[in-house]
Amino acid sequence: MRLFRELDFLLLAATLVTVLLGVTMIYSAAFHSDSTAVQNAWDKQAKFAFFALAVSLAIVYIPDKVIYSIAHPLYLFGLLSLLAVLAWGTGDDAARWLRLGPLRLQPSELAKITTIIALARYLSDCTTERINKPRGFLGALCISLVPMALIVRQPDLGTAISFGAPLFPMLYWAGMRKLFIFLVVSPIISVICSFEPLWQGAAPYIFATFIIGSTAFIHLLLGRLWMTITMIAVNLSAGLITVYLWDHFLRQYQKDRIMTFLDPESDRLGSGWNIIQSKIAIGSGGLTGKGFLGGTQTKYEFLPAAHTDFIFSVIGEELGFVGALVVLALFFFIITRALQIGAMVKNRFYSLIAIGLASMLTFHVFVNIGMTIGVMPVTGLPLPFLSSGGSSLLSNLVAIGLLLHIYTYRHEY
Amino acid sequence: MEHLPQQDQRPQINGLLRVVTLLFAVLVLRLLYLQVTTSDDYARESDENRIAQKRIKAPRGLIYDRDGRVLARNRAFYSVSLERTTRKDFDATATAFKEAIGDREINDNYSRRHRTIRLKRDVDFRTVSIVEELLKADWPLLDIENETQRHYPYSHSTAHLLGYMGIIQDQSLINAPGKTYMPGDFIGKTGIEKIYENNLRGLDGVHYLEVDAAGRTGRELPELDQWAVSGNELHLTVDLEVQLAAERALPDTLAGSIVAINPQTGAVLALVNKPTFDANIFVSFQAQEERQKVLQSKTTLLNRAIRGRYPPGSTLKMIGAIAALETGITDTLSTFEACAGSLAVGDVVFHCNKLDGHGEMNLLEAIETSCNIYFHHLAQILGFKTWREYADKFGFGHPTGIALDPSEAEGLLPSRQYYQEREGWTFGHLLNLIIGQGAMLATPLQMARYTAAIANGGYLVTPYLSGEPPERQPIEGITPATLKIVRKAMYQVVYGNRGTGRRVQIDGIAIAAKTGTAQVPNRNNDAWFVAFAPYENPTIAIAAVIEGGGGGGAVAGPIVRQVIEAYFKQSGTADQAATDTLLTAH
Repeated sequence: MRLFRELDFLLLAATLVTVLLGVTMIYSAAFHSDSTAVQNAWDKQAKFAFFALAVSLAIVYIPDKVIYSIAHPLYLFGLLSLLAVLAWGTGDDAARWLRLGPLRLQPSELAKITTIIALARYLSDCTTERINKPRGFLGALCISLVPMALIVRQPDLGTAISFGAPLFPMLYWAGMRKLFIFLVVSPIISVICSFEPLWQGAAPYIFATFIIGSTAFIHLLLGRLWMTITMIAVNLSAGLITVYLWDHFLRQYQKDRIMTFLDPESDRLGSGWNIIQSKIAIGSGGLTGKGFLGGTQTKYEFLPAAHTDFIFSVIGEELGFVGALVVLALFFFIITRALQIGAMVKNRFYSLIAIGLASMLTFHVFVNIGMTIGVMPVTGLPLPFLSSGGSSLLSNLVAIGLLLHIYTYRHEY
Repeated sequence: MEHLPQQDQRPQINGLLRVVTLLFAVLVLRLLYLQVTTSDDYARESDENRIAQKRIKAPRGLIYDRDGRVLARNRAFYSVSLERTTRKDFDATATAFKEAIGDREINDNYSRRHRTIRLKRDVDFRTVSIVEELLKADWPLLDIENETQRHYPYSHSTAHLLGYMGIIQDQSLINAPGKTYMPGDFIGKTGIEKIYENNLRGLDGVHYLEVDAAGRTGRELPELDQWAVSGNELHLTVDLEVQLAAERALPDTLAGSIVAINPQTGAVLALVNKPTFDANIFVSFQAQEERQKVLQSKTTLLNRAIRGRYPPGSTLKMIGAIAALETGITDTLSTFEACAGSLAVGDVVFHCNKLDGHGEMNLLEAIETSCNIYFHHLAQILGFKTWREYADKFGFGHPTGIALDPSEAEGLLPSRQYYQEREGWTFGHLLNLIIGQGAMLATPLQMARYTAAIANGGYLVTPYLSGEPPERQPIEGITPATLKIVRKAMYQVVYGNRGTGRRVQIDGIAIAAKTGTAQVPNRNNDAWFVAFAPYENPTIAIAAVIEGGGGGGAVAGPIVRQVIEAYFKQSGTADQAATDTLLTAH
């Protein structure tokens, strides 16, 4: 059968190896736990993997152009599920799950995919010319912002930010000029510059320097006064709103996470605990690790959420630098493969989906692993394919399913 | 579906690939740093994590009196503690405990820093049984912990001597290398407990266990364990019977102090002050109120025996007598102009204690009757420099060096300069000093040492509480004959017809003494009494002061008598028995 022969076996193989490694390491991470639910997490993950794999292979066999035509209903479905979480959601310190009979689903995971599909449809419908106009950009921004706003309400800052991650690579891919990307990214840089905890007392000066520098840059390159004035206003308000949000809007635990990221040693046994214990786990793993089931950080539960958010720390501790490199290599292969698929397919909609999915995976991998080794804040973003958790596994395997689907139709316009 | 012409996307894919590669390079470099470059540091931290050290408290050394009676012991008590856990579990467990015992005053400050948090220390058996029988099944993190605390069986009687213990406050000690002290530990705050802290404390042991982050213990690691070493026993020179008698003898209504030492060695036999306190309240977890009361009182904690500064009154007259005899100014027969009850020197009139005068008398009679006029005459011949020289030889103006309190008072033996800096020097000052008035100040311990030096034939001892006696210093320029005369005079104080200390006479024990009635601003006269016994080969020297007590012979004398009686009732007979045994053996 033609479609079977057209499958991207390398991508599928890399994914399966990663999922299998994930199940194995979940087994190890939860082996010494008191809780039978945690001990059986690997079994649950394995079963879910079969289910998710079936879903993703089913996606491969969806006829061409169907996904394009149902992009809007899918997006709407994603938003409705997020609204449902706000209404009926459950969870410990934030409501993130929806209970469906015996299953607990995290709609935000699936909404990531539907948002990327909606974005891809919108951008593929736009001409390059239109994308470089404010109205075209604002449309794309809205598609991302609506689900982000719903997720921030849960509240789940990390996941919300992850919705923004595919936006700029996809805009870039759709043909937006780099200068314009800078224009829209500059408010974000403005936010970072005005972020007091990051710069201590120097924030006002750094912020002022950025405003002056970016204004000069934009004015010289564009030479349009109204554009320059608009950007000054936008950047200024972005910076000032940041200060306001930090002081009045962020939850204490969100502030703690950011503060702890900036200086984990400041509270070794409080909020800094997770990052420090994770670094100890990975660092003590050394070159070749302490061996499967041999991680003492894991075994004695110094490592928090070992089988979910901090699964990479277990890999680092038990399999060492070598194991960690293998994982990074697998991810690097899957992501670059997704980018290549994006570059090779003729269909612009498919191409944009591939780039969006590649960006999403990259963001998750970098933020999660970065968190475990102390270069990114603790956000609670799962590591694709490896972290225990059905929703995340399902959405990531659906992403692979979509990539395989796109690959099989790579020659079609 | 629109079919837009496919653009050449090759340069764009390169841009994205570059970004992805850069991000992965960051991760790889960071991993390389963690797992290869600094891996050893993290491996060490991981080991420290896994292995928990549980401290085994070393029992504090007991304190005994000279006959082996326990003055300070360790009392076992129970604490309710909670293993380190999540805040949620902690709060739930603490609340359940609070409700079960119906007590809201528990320590419910959650902290991840401590492996165990003590909810309540020193609980009663009712609480222990509630925890063990009712709560433990539902709240497995609750635990009953055995602890010990100091207990003083003779609470009030030994308080100033032994001192008290309290929870360590000095952060520098807690942070000092060796981790000898932990927050919440008790440490000697005053007295013997403080001075002998390092001896008494012992060495805490360490028990090693593998644990998880929730504090649950796993395998034991006996090969690493270090046993606790108990603190050393401390044997004091103090005689409990004398100590108790002194405490009983001092009136509860007045402040005062008694010090008894062995005049030959300086061994402290008793050291008592009033008002006193129960040292047990400082280690109790229930006695906050009593503790506050004692701490707020300015005078209760004051160790008057070594920090109280008093004018010694007539008990100081032996200094003048010794100085006069040594310089040949007088002898046992010479007399001065008869005492007529008062004496005018310049435009100041000095009065004697007997308003109609003692009449003509020699040195022995002057001491026996405590005639002031005689000593005023003596002072005029003696001169300030000579008198001061002899007072200095007997240790006045210098701390005795007893190892009990580093801030021991040195009293005040004024110099000529002292007066020049103030109201100016006049000869009248010496007339006051020689009878122990004026600016002269001494501690009861200094008075006991001075009495001991007269009793032992001219040696200045350093009072001590434990171990070997410090070497005693012979006082230069004092001949045995002089001291013999002074001792004779002190004997007459008790046994002479006109003696001021006749009230202390005890059947079968020859006592020598001197009374003092010191004028003090703003209160009644302080009653003083110094004594030694037996008259031949004395084994006890004693000094007592009662603030505002009135006459030395009438008030302080009978008090000292009780102490001497108690001393000879048991320890005198014990000494006798020892001597008998020696004689029989030879």
